[in-house]
Amino acid sequence: MTHAPTDRRPAAVQPPRARAKAGLADREGFLAWVMLLPSVVYIVALVGVPFLLAIAFAFSDVTTGDPSFDFAGFRNFDEILTDGVFWRALRNTLVFTLVSMVLIVLFGKVLANILVADFHGKWFVRFLVLLPWTTPVALSTISWLWFLDSIYSPVDWVLRHLGLIDANVVWLGRPGTAMASVVAVQTWRLTPLAAVIVMAGLVAIPRDIDEAARIDGAGFWRRMFEVTIPLTLPVIAVAGLFGAIMTFTDMTVPYVLTRGGPTHSTDVLASWAYFRGIEGGDVGQGAAIALFLFPLLLAGAIAILRAVRRLEAG
Amino acid sequence: MADRPGTPDTPRPDSAETSRRGFLSSTALAAGAYGLLAGCASESSGPQAKSVGNAPKEVFTSPAKKLGGSLSILMWSHFVPRHDKWFDKFLSDWGEKVGVDVRVDHINTVDVPRRAASEIQAGRGHDLIQHIAPFSQYEPSVLDMTDVVQEATRRWGQQLELCRKSSYNPNTRRFYAYCPGWSPDPGDYRRSMWQKVGMPNGPTSWDDLLRGAAEIKKQTGVPCGIGLSPETDSNMAARALLWSFGGSVQDPHERVVVNSDATVAAVEYMARLFKEAETSEVFSWTPASNNQALIAGKSSYIVNSISAWRTAMGTNRAIGDDIFFVPALRGPKAALAAQHVIQQWIVPKYAANPDAAKEFLLHYTANFPSVSYHSELYDLPGWPSVVPQLNGWLDNDPWGAKPANKLALLKTATSWSANIGYPGPSNPAIGEIFNTNVLPTMFGRAARGQASPAQAVAEAEDRINAIFKNWRARGLVGG
Repeated sequence: MTHAPTDRRPAAVQPPRARAKAGLADREGFLAWVMLLPSVVYIVALVGVPFLLAIAFAFSDVTTGDPSFDFAGFRNFDEILTDGVFWRALRNTLVFTLVSMVLIVLFGKVLANILVADFHGKWFVRFLVLLPWTTPVALSTISWLWFLDSIYSPVDWVLRHLGLIDANVVWLGRPGTAMASVVAVQTWRLTPLAAVIVMAGLVAIPRDIDEAARIDGAGFWRRMFEVTIPLTLPVIAVAGLFGAIMTFTDMTVPYVLTRGGPTHSTDVLASWAYFRGIEGGDVGQGAAIALFLFPLLLAGAIAILRAVRRLEAG
Repeated sequence: MADRPGTPDTPRPDSAETSRRGFLSSTALAAGAYGLLAGCASESSGPQAKSVGNAPKEVFTSPAKKLGGSLSILMWSHFVPRHDKWFDKFLSDWGEKVGVDVRVDHINTVDVPRRAASEIQAGRGHDLIQHIAPFSQYEPSVLDMTDVVQEATRRWGQQLELCRKSSYNPNTRRFYAYCPGWSPDPGDYRRSMWQKVGMPNGPTSWDDLLRGAAEIKKQTGVPCGIGLSPETDSNMAARALLWSFGGSVQDPHERVVVNSDATVAAVEYMARLFKEAETSEVFSWTPASNNQALIAGKSSYIVNSISAWRTAMGTNRAIGDDIFFVPALRGPKAALAAQHVIQQWIVPKYAANPDAAKEFLLHYTANFPSVSYHSELYDLPGWPSVVPQLNGWLDNDPWGAKPANKLALLKTATSWSANIGYPGPSNPAIGEIFNTNVLPTMFGRAARGQASPAQAVAEAEDRINAIFKNWRARGLVGG
């Protein structure tokens, strides 16, 4: 899209350089591209190029110590498919993603309802709600590592003083509680994002629809399930999609909290790819494991977007 | 210089333009300020013990050839902050003497492998990289250090076997790293707890440990702290237990021999130890957790370097005085522990100044008395003859141990310590097995009851065989 220059001042009074500069700064089409360029460069450099590199590495014998590229065919894929830890990591990834996604959407919806309500100090509550999302993930996860520490956990301290437990739970030392902790932290982190997305959907619902339902005698729950949720379902699906993608590809929370333990019970594909590729030194196999994320993510994204389109069409 | 808006000889732009430009310039300024602040950030230092002795005098030998240019070093932030303070000045003094512009970057030890990997992939970065665990997978991209090792051996005699096996590849006959120092991994115990069960001098065998630790847990509720988590200390303890029962991952010829009766017996023992003397917390530990547990009085025994004790000496002297050490525990077949830290200095092939890097390493080795001293006896020499005062320090700790000879057991540390590939070399397969936590998982699955000891060993063998096959295909592992 291009626009004619909008500067209507006499050209005679402007020096030529200033005129050229003002012209460029006022051309919205030009500015639009300039503003977009960082995003395009960012996506190409930090997403596109690494993705192509990952494909190349997955078919190579590259290691951390030997960057020379030799074609290895499907050998890396053959080897990872016979590795029991890979299948455990895949199963963990699916559990981690599905449970987190359901909780993120559920809590996101509840939180969005609270945030659209009118009450004193709403801005402060909104600020607090968004805090987990704006805090760097590594930093917030380290805080959770301390919260869930086997000896000094303040969570356990509170539960002990409430008389709910006798001894520390050791959240990260048992397979079940470790997975629950990882899911809980991921949910805590991503719920604000889902809440903001759903909130945008909620404020877009025309008020008269809600008022008509009230006049017809519909109570809170009936309006919720028969008016609000059906109307915001496409937006909720988008929130779910974001939550799923960001959980499926995340390794920070499991890596910082448990390093995949105990006995690989919280290893996910992303963390296992990192262990094999960088810490273990076999970049080829690490890349092959990481590539498994792509088709699953693609299939999940297509399925959800199709469902949204069907809902919108209906 | 570009025209500025609003100056008398140029027309004042409209407000939209001002805000756009204003926005862009403020963004640029903010980004710059953030970069500056980030650049100024530094790591904090922990508490240190006070020296009661005299630091050794440093020596200087002129380089064999004239040096120049610059030398950049990437290394870990030492667990003993005093060491880094000393090292930085030591390097700077050397640089001035030999006319080399020197720079050192200390980073968290867990970040060194990924930083080294990215520099080697990029083909540019530091001239000299130090890590504290075997770096054998970098062999194709680093210079052969045989000449430096030969020169060091000519000057200071025989290198320790565990240092040699952690830096030499017998298949390619190359020293992929230079290993001038290491740290042992003794057992650390709380004397007051072991006194209660009639073992004031701590356990001497794995049987003692099971008996004593189980009794302490029964009497006081304090568990034993042998880790089963995906982290370094658990990996070290797993190897000590395995070797002491007569098992090993590979034989001296780099053939996989992990699936043996001895390994199954070691796994059975660990399952019993966990059941009778430990709690699930050992599955959740980070490398710092066992130190914290010992200092907090929440563990009666851990396997670690002397760092936990040195930390306690600086923060709570009474606790420090209650922590004592034992050498590797005796098992049915041996009494062995893995090295805790093994110095690995590599010179990447892209290094612009390899001569300076190698000369500095010889100078560093010649001054190993200072390394040992300023690391508060954490770092021990790979060429023992360089530090003749070491036994004196171990008998009479210059940093105020009580009793003064608390570390005397380290005088024999080389006889009960081995490299992580024992009885073979620390090859890339051993490195990957270590870094992907195959052994803690093997012990942990049996301890948890997720698999029988025999099944857990068989699962580990499958993974180990796959890893060995992979690295053998690259010509870096024998067998």
